[in-house]
Amino acid sequence: MKKWYNVVAISMVAVIVLGIFAIACAQKPAEPQATGPITINIGEPVALSGSAAPWGQIPTPFREAWFEVFNKEGFKIGDQTYNIKLIQVDDQNTAEGGAAAAKQLIFGDNCKFLAGHWTWNFSAIASVTNPAKVIFVTRTGAPDALPASWNGAYDAKTMPYVVFGTPSQDEFTYNCFALVDAFPNYKKLGLLDSTVSKGGPGWVVLQDVLNKAGVRWHSEWFTPGTTDFAPIITRFAEEDCDIVFVAGWIGEYMAFAKQRWEMGYKDMKVACSGPFVSLGMYKAVVGADAFEGAIGAYYDNSQFKKTEVNPKYIAQCQEALTIAAEKTGKPYEYTGEIAWLPSHVLILVQAMQKAGTVDDTDAIMKAIRGGTFDTTIGKWTMSGAETYGSPVVFGTPACLCVIQDGKEVYLSEHPMEPLP
Amino acid sequence: MPPAGIWVDGLVQSCIYMTMAFGMVLVFSILGILNWAHGQFYMLGAFVVYYAITAAGIPFPISLLVSGVVVGGLGMLVEKFVIERLTAPGYGMLYVTVATLALIFFFEGAAGMAFGLMDKGLATVLPGVLDVGSFSVSYQKIAVVIFTLVIMVIMYVVLNRTKVGLAIRAAAQEPVAASLYGISVGRVSLIVMGIGCALAAMAGGIMGPVHSVNPFMGRIPMIMSLLAIIIGGLGSLTGAIVGGIILGLLNSVIAYKISYFSEVVLFVLVILVLLIRPQGLFGAPAK
Repeated sequence: MKKWYNVVAISMVAVIVLGIFAIACAQKPAEPQATGPITINIGEPVALSGSAAPWGQIPTPFREAWFEVFNKEGFKIGDQTYNIKLIQVDDQNTAEGGAAAAKQLIFGDNCKFLAGHWTWNFSAIASVTNPAKVIFVTRTGAPDALPASWNGAYDAKTMPYVVFGTPSQDEFTYNCFALVDAFPNYKKLGLLDSTVSKGGPGWVVLQDVLNKAGVRWHSEWFTPGTTDFAPIITRFAEEDCDIVFVAGWIGEYMAFAKQRWEMGYKDMKVACSGPFVSLGMYKAVVGADAFEGAIGAYYDNSQFKKTEVNPKYIAQCQEALTIAAEKTGKPYEYTGEIAWLPSHVLILVQAMQKAGTVDDTDAIMKAIRGGTFDTTIGKWTMSGAETYGSPVVFGTPACLCVIQDGKEVYLSEHPMEPLP
Repeated sequence: MPPAGIWVDGLVQSCIYMTMAFGMVLVFSILGILNWAHGQFYMLGAFVVYYAITAAGIPFPISLLVSGVVVGGLGMLVEKFVIERLTAPGYGMLYVTVATLALIFFFEGAAGMAFGLMDKGLATVLPGVLDVGSFSVSYQKIAVVIFTLVIMVIMYVVLNRTKVGLAIRAAAQEPVAASLYGISVGRVSLIVMGIGCALAAMAGGIMGPVHSVNPFMGRIPMIMSLLAIIIGGLGSLTGAIVGGIILGLLNSVIAYKISYFSEVVLFVLVILVLLIRPQGLFGAPAK
C-alpha cells in the first residue's frame, strides 16, 4: 500500500514539474520593438451589468468606432506614433465592483490611465488608482466625487492623480441656467432627485448657486425604485413648477414624463439630466405624444452655437457616429459619449504630448493641472484651484436639446465658467 | 385633503398590491411558505405580455391570459421541482426561503440575459386619458381597476362555487382531513402555486403599459404585497384584499403629504400592526 502512495506522490510531483517546464517553454521570447505605433492601454471601469448597464452598454458602438477613427492617425510624441486600446471592465456601479475593476485594469491589464468613468464608486476606485500613480479621469456629480470643501471625498493632497474630465455637477448647474435661458418666462424650476443625493454636497452647492442667480426653484425627492410619481407631480403642480428637471436614472425620468402627461399636466416641461440614451425606448415607454417636447442634455458637437469645437473633432465624431450606425444597422442616436470618454482621452493624449512621455504620470499630471485642452466638447482650461484644491476640472458646454417630431433639436447652451 | 387624482392613483396601486397579495396568501395557505420570488413572476408576466404584443401581435387581453398560463405553468414547475422537494421531511422552512430568495436573482439575471436590461415600453397599448373634472386618468389605469375587479370576481367564484375551490379551501383548513376525503393535497398545492403565480404574472402584465418593463420591476411590488398581507393578516384572503387597499391608498396619500417619508411611515405602520395585532386585521390569532 505504502509503495502505491509513493508512486502516486512521485507521479504528481513529476506532472507538476513537467507542467511548469512546459509553461516556461511556451513563453515566447520578447519580440523586437516594432517600428509601428505603440499601443497605450486605457482602462474604463464601467457598468456593464445591473440596472445602470444601459448607460454602459449603449455607447459601446460609438466608443469602438471613435477609437477606430482616432487610431487611424493616433498621436505622436516626437517621431513615435501611439495608438490607444480601450479595456473595459464591469464595475457593476458598486464600490466593491469599482475597486475590483480598477485592480484588474491596473495590475492585470497594465493600465496607467483610467478614463470615461461615470459610475458612483469614485472613492473606491480613487483609493486604488492614487497609490498606484494611475491617472483617473472621471466625472463629478456622484455625491463623493466632489471636493472636500463641498463635503465630498476628493482631496487634492491625497488624490493627486485624479482629473475631473466631465464636471457633471457643474454641468447640471449650468443646465439649469440653460433651461432658464430657453424659457425666460418660466414660473418656477422644479428639481427632482433621489434621496440618495439629498443633503449631499452637490445639492447644497447647486441651491446656493441658483439662489445667488435669482432662479426660482422648488425641490422634491423620491426613494430609489419609485415608479409612481403622481404624488410628486401633484406637489410640483401645486408649487407652480412649469419645468421639472429630473436627476434620476432613465426609468424614473420616463415614469415621471409619462405620468405627468396622463395626469393632465401636459404643459409641464420635463428635462432629463443626461442625454437621451435611446429615443425609441423613450417613445415606447413614455408615449410619442408625452415625449414630444422632452428636454435632455445634448452633445452633438456639430450643433453647438456658443462653444467652438475644433472641426477635426467634429469630423471625427461624425465619422464615428456613421460607423456606429453601420455596425448597429440603424441610425445611431446616442450622442452622450461624445462628451465623455473621447474628451477624457484627448485630455490625456494632449497632456502626454505636452509632458513628452506616456509613462511618467507625475509629469503628465503636471501638464494637466491648469492646462488648456482642445477636445470633442471644446477648448477649456482646467480650473478649480481654489474650490478643488487643484486646477483639475474641465469645462462643459451645458447644452440642451428638445424633442421635436421625435428627434433631438438644439434648444439652448450655457457654457460653464471656470471654477475659482 | 388630497386632490381626487391622488385617490385615483392610490386606488390603482391598491389593485396591484391586492392582486399580488391575494396570490401570495393563496400559496401560503396551502404550501405554508412565502414565495419570495413572487415579484419575479410579476416581472416575467410583464415580459410575456410585452413579447406577445410586440413580437406575436396578440391582442392585449389575450396576452394577459397567455402570461397567466405561461408563468403559472412556470410556477407549477418551481413548486414541483424545487419547493416540493425542500418541504419534504428532513428539510425545513429555511431551505425553501433560501431557495425562493435565490430564485429572485436567478430570474432577474436570466431575464436580463434573455431580454436585455433596457426598459421596454407598451405605451401604445390603451393610449389616451379620460378627463374627469379637475383631473385626468389614463385608460391604462382604468384597465388596471377593471382587471382587478374581474379577477376578484373570478377568484370568488372559483374558490366558493367550484369543486377545485372547495378542495383548495379544505386543504387550506385541514390538509390531513382533506386527504382522507380523497383530496390530493400535492395536486392542490400545484394548482394553487400555478394560480398564485398566474395572478402575479397578470398583475405584471396589466402594469406593463402603465410603467415600463425591465428585469428589476418586481422588487417593489413584492415588498408592498408582503406589507399588505402583514397588515391584512397572513393566511387571510380577505385580509390580502383589505391590506392591499389600505396600503395603496395610504402610500399615495402619505407620499402626497410628506413626499419620500411615505415609505418610512408605511414600515412603521407595519411594525405597529405586528406589535399590537400580529395576526393582522383578519388573520387568526396564533394558537
